[in-house]
Amino acid sequence: MFRMQCFHVLARSSTKSHRWFSSRPIDAEALLSKRTWSVRSLLPSTDTTPDSPQVSSEQLHHLLRLSALPPPKDPSEEARMLRTLSSQLHFVREIQAVDTTGVSPLRTLRDETTEGEQRNEIGLAELKDALCGEDAVGKHHKRVRRRRDQDGQKTAAETWHVLGSAEKLIGKYFVVEGGK
Amino acid sequence: MTAPSNSTLRLQYRQLYQNSLRYSLLGTRLTHRPALWNQVRKSHTVITADHVPLRKQLKDEARRKKADKKASPKSSKTLDPRLSRWELTVGLEIHAELNTACKLFSPAATSLNAEPNSHVALFDAAFPGTQPQFQKATLIPALRAALAFGCEVQRKSSWDRKHYFYQDQPNGYQITQYYEVTIGIKQIQLEQDTAKTILQPPSTYLLDFNRVGTPLIEIITLPHIHSPTTAAACVRKIQSLLRAVDACVVGMEMGGLRCDVNVSVRERGTTAEGLSEYAGVKGLGTRTEIKNLSSFKAVEDAILAERDRQIAVLESGGEIEGETRGWTIGQTETVRLRGKEGEVDYRYMPDPDLGPLIIGQDLVDHLKDILPMLPDETAERVVNKYGISTKDARTLISLDDGDRLEYTEAVVETVMQRLASLPEKQRFDKVGKVVADWVLHELGGLLTTAGVPWEIQTVTPEMLADIIVHLQSNQITGNTAKKLLAHYASLQPVAGAAIPSVSEIIDASGLRLVPLTEGEYVEMAQKVMAENPDMVKAVREKGQRGKIMWFVGQMMRRGEEGRVEAEKARLYVERLLEV
Repeated sequence: MFRMQCFHVLARSSTKSHRWFSSRPIDAEALLSKRTWSVRSLLPSTDTTPDSPQVSSEQLHHLLRLSALPPPKDPSEEARMLRTLSSQLHFVREIQAVDTTGVSPLRTLRDETTEGEQRNEIGLAELKDALCGEDAVGKHHKRVRRRRDQDGQKTAAETWHVLGSAEKLIGKYFVVEGGK
Repeated sequence: MTAPSNSTLRLQYRQLYQNSLRYSLLGTRLTHRPALWNQVRKSHTVITADHVPLRKQLKDEARRKKADKKASPKSSKTLDPRLSRWELTVGLEIHAELNTACKLFSPAATSLNAEPNSHVALFDAAFPGTQPQFQKATLIPALRAALAFGCEVQRKSSWDRKHYFYQDQPNGYQITQYYEVTIGIKQIQLEQDTAKTILQPPSTYLLDFNRVGTPLIEIITLPHIHSPTTAAACVRKIQSLLRAVDACVVGMEMGGLRCDVNVSVRERGTTAEGLSEYAGVKGLGTRTEIKNLSSFKAVEDAILAERDRQIAVLESGGEIEGETRGWTIGQTETVRLRGKEGEVDYRYMPDPDLGPLIIGQDLVDHLKDILPMLPDETAERVVNKYGISTKDARTLISLDDGDRLEYTEAVVETVMQRLASLPEKQRFDKVGKVVADWVLHELGGLLTTAGVPWEIQTVTPEMLADIIVHLQSNQITGNTAKKLLAHYASLQPVAGAAIPSVSEIIDASGLRLVPLTEGEYVEMAQKVMAENPDMVKAVREKGQRGKIMWFVGQMMRRGEEGRVEAEKARLYVERLLEV
């Protein structure tokens, strides 16, 4: 919400070029006292019954199992969970209602320009060192073989105390009790 | 007193000679201490009246086995009518550990049997706030595997999270992805391996995170396989293909390659209606998945057991449930692990921590250029060049990562060089076949018995080539050749001291083969004939020509090994018998 206010401010200042700054000072409190948008607009109003199909108790328990979350302690907690889940689904449906034709989904924030892609390409140059780590073996029966004499050496990433934060150990193993 | 049986005799000799003894099929013994050997040999070849010759014993046993087989038909024969009604379909999912120095998303080292939890990066242990870092070097074996299977490598691919909770998956999800592939293989994808768990009964799990994050490729075949033996052969072939291109070097027996199978049956001649479809193949029955098979035999046995179970269920009017089952070696039926209600919803989603994987074409082209010859092509080359049987060629290729084949080819090359300098009549053909036999059976057998791994064996190609050339040109006997081989195989090289060559040893020990003179042949033949007047009568008077070879056999037994030539002996016997 706050960010949207800023965009409004910037837009106005660019078209009216400094006239804003030359006139009266900004009354920040007055500016921010009026809400222009609230996330509540994406939630169902509390007094009306949600128009979305209800989540069943079975579905809830299935989802809790999948997420390794504890089941509800009693029917009232289950009812609360189902209500929360229902409004969350309303929210999701509002998001899904936005028209995204022609827009490819964003997977991760990365440089997606052609130059960026070129920079991230893994080619022969990037793997030159790794390829030097293997030998061409055999005069008659030609093969390649990665040199493994340096394998198993501790790298910089392995010098921390792996077992140090474990609550329970048996020898050098972490322990998980599997019994119900 | 009856002579002791052959097996007790062998046991006694084994106790006498620990490492240097080997029994060939004909019951001769090999040792690099000739003096003792000669003594022992004499005491064994005393033939008493009650003693049954070994060859006869073996023949009788073989005859008995054949009779037994005919009496009780094998159980598989009773399944034939069922198989004519039901058709099996199998799909394979193989996970193979890539040959890399470090893990897929962390620089921690990969390892096989290191001390538990000694190669774990913070990301591998799923410490909050840690990020995956793609290790570029892991691409090399992955691309080689893709190229070996004739796959089309996608320039751009992305990473997904496959969510499930289990103690061996610290992150709560596995990072996995896709390559586009060609027919036969549905897809090949890169993914992370999980931790190793050891169960301490009843329900305590010990976890070793060394293996977490090790790069794996998952190879999924199309359901084109229709028999258990074909499935096992397919897994074997995939393993050998991956090994040939240095993509995966740890085999199934060491846990470097694991296999899940999908098994379904359907009635032959049924149409596609009402049946399932998988990867474009229509008309399949409901399939069950058998997880974590860890040997070729397990793959074959488990598929066989599951096929029979499914047929039994369907024939009794039941329905197959799409479930996950397990198999332990020694069981007769698969065991249900998880039903449909326990099916995991993996909630695949793109991994937001990782950018797309972009592979340069120059890298793919380079790896294609230097890709080693695949096993099928190598086998063809070897068969065509050396006249070795396909079976022997494949064995040579598979042993010691191809080193055995390289050695064999070096020996052949050396033999050809030696032969070029020998007079025409001493040369021999089928060099490739002779050398392959020696490398596989003679040398191979010696090393196996002595428990010597190939990497440290001491017989150089030159040594073996010399032995073979001397043998094939009749300068030494077969037995001498074997003794020489054993000698070189048990050498302890001393720094600075030269190793005597085959010629030097032969001359020094007087091992050069001296063939029998005509007089010696005649004398021996006459002796045998004098001792066996009945046999002589049988040939001369009753015309039983077959017994001529019996005389030859007797002469060969009596004469020193290799000195009596069967053909020559036969001629002399025939002449003396006047037939």
